[in-house]
Amino acid sequence: MSQDVFKIQGLNLWYDDFQALKGIDMFIKQNEVTALIGPSGCGKSTFLRCLNRMNDLIDDVKIDGQVVYHNQHIYQKNYDVINLRTKVGMVFQKPNPFPMSIYDNVAYGPRCQGLKNKEQLNEIVESSLKKAALWKEVKDRLKESAMELSGGQQQRLCIARAIAMEPEVILMDEPTSALDPIATLKIEELINDLKENYAIVIVTHSMQQAARISDKTAFFLMGELIEFGDTDFIFSTPKHEQTENYITGRFG
Amino acid sequence: MSNKRKRYDFIMKTITYVASSVAIIILFMIVFFVVRNGTNLLSFDLLTSDYHSHVYNGGIDPVTDFSQTSKPDHLTDEDYYSQKWGIALSDGEGKQGEERVIVSFVAEDSPLNHMVNRNDSNDEDFQIKEGYIIQMIKFEGRQSALEIYGAQYMINSLEEVDTFRELVFAEVGGGIRGSLLTTLYTIGLTLIVALPVGIFTAIYFNEFANKNKFTQFMRTLIDTLTGVPSIIFGLMGLAVFVPLTVRYTPATSGNILSGSLTLAVILLPVIIKSTEESLKVVPDDFRQASLALGANHTQTTFKVVLPSALPGILTATLLSIGRIIGESAALIFAVGTAIKDDISIFGKSTTLSVHIWSLLTDEPANIPLATTIALIILMVVLGLNLLVKLLSIKFMKKFS
Repeated sequence: MSQDVFKIQGLNLWYDDFQALKGIDMFIKQNEVTALIGPSGCGKSTFLRCLNRMNDLIDDVKIDGQVVYHNQHIYQKNYDVINLRTKVGMVFQKPNPFPMSIYDNVAYGPRCQGLKNKEQLNEIVESSLKKAALWKEVKDRLKESAMELSGGQQQRLCIARAIAMEPEVILMDEPTSALDPIATLKIEELINDLKENYAIVIVTHSMQQAARISDKTAFFLMGELIEFGDTDFIFSTPKHEQTENYITGRFG
Repeated sequence: MSNKRKRYDFIMKTITYVASSVAIIILFMIVFFVVRNGTNLLSFDLLTSDYHSHVYNGGIDPVTDFSQTSKPDHLTDEDYYSQKWGIALSDGEGKQGEERVIVSFVAEDSPLNHMVNRNDSNDEDFQIKEGYIIQMIKFEGRQSALEIYGAQYMINSLEEVDTFRELVFAEVGGGIRGSLLTTLYTIGLTLIVALPVGIFTAIYFNEFANKNKFTQFMRTLIDTLTGVPSIIFGLMGLAVFVPLTVRYTPATSGNILSGSLTLAVILLPVIIKSTEESLKVVPDDFRQASLALGANHTQTTFKVVLPSALPGILTATLLSIGRIIGESAALIFAVGTAIKDDISIFGKSTTLSVHIWSLLTDEPANIPLATTIALIILMVVLGLNLLVKLLSIKFMKKFS
């Protein structure tokens, strides 16, 4: 069996008075795609953001419980968050390339870590764009603004930007919800390829997408993890009635 | 019901149209007035020449050979010519529209080419030339020919005499080069001081400061400063910056540096505010994306947020420049009102706006020149506007 990258135990999270996550126990494995599903406001995105501590940016957030990344509790004092984020990349719902050239977008992360060597940067940019299946489309216009790319291309650029950091885990927060079906298909194929090298956690609203691309599925409801297991099982023989109701489209 | 609603719509629509027409007409009238009255005196000479004219006092030794040159063909009836003295004079206008007697021709064999400088015999520039003005000719034993009597009277008087006591002539002054330069210096110095301080303050407030009561209070304070009349800042400039600059620089009175510092203080709230506004509209997505890539807060701010806010900051800069050009009240104290030709950062001089103020407080007020300067200011502001538009279009093309 592949190794656990993340181990989450008894994770609770409050926004001010509102408890958004209630006692989540979960694990994320290397070389697997884990899909988080559930109706809006169920806490799946919040949970995703706990894994690279992006919730730190929001005021009045209180977290307890354990999120262990490679035997280190990431919410302990003095934990190196910057380092964590270089290892746990993130792709957002809306494609959000920086208003810079395509090249600068991909090179942004490595540059922030202090990499200045041009040849190395060139190499990273090329290999990241190749892994994100974007190289062929943009290799002749790396110096052009990333804002001129189509939505799907922008999202793949964002994936390339995350890959450039050589992370272990890529978190994806509904990466295809703003894209058309063809672009979505491309991203899904890409995710399939990427799991060779990375652990991927993806939040999605599309049951079909979860069923198509994930190895494990976690169903969230009202801040609780209702069911977590192999995708095949969840979609064929869910243990909980709520899960069944949700995946068959009876609510949500 | 439907009729009532129609009437209501009609009234509201009419009010909108009338209000916008009034606004546009008033603005257009101002521009029309300035352009119509300002273009008469507008010339490149005005912009590049000195305000103070160098006045020469020429005397003459007993003349033995008078000029033999007859009136050249290119001169018209407007030019009065004295063959004896080999000089043609005409009535004209100075740069500020005042009446002047202008030298329109000097013959090569004119005895006036050999005048003696009564002030400084070593001055090599001492020579009467075409385009100079003659202010006065003093004669022995008869009434002096003054400028106000006109060119014809001067020529007639000259024809009747064989010598004179003194001929006062001068270059045409009245240029605004000094004030223009002062304005440019002031813009440069003010922006050098105000932009970095203002932008970094805005970054602190928007990106770094905790959102607590204290920062909220500071913001309110800054907002309040935006509305303080500039004369109060002028007072502060006079009380603080003028003594400071007098103490630590070669300055002896109000100077460009103290004026620029005063203006920088006036502009700080404006720059902070507008920079903050442009930082606020930078999507949070950019910040999050940057942080998620392992960039720290400072890198995120300066590599992603600040560049995205640049068009807004450019606009703030433009507004600031407009304000600098337009400011007069504060500068009357902080820079002074002396119209100068030799401009030094530590010397007193005057900006274009204060120049207008000086012209209008003169007795009588020189409205034509004031309008011309107003026109120049309008054109500078318009030019800057276009420049910033161009820059931000270029910028947008590159980044969005």
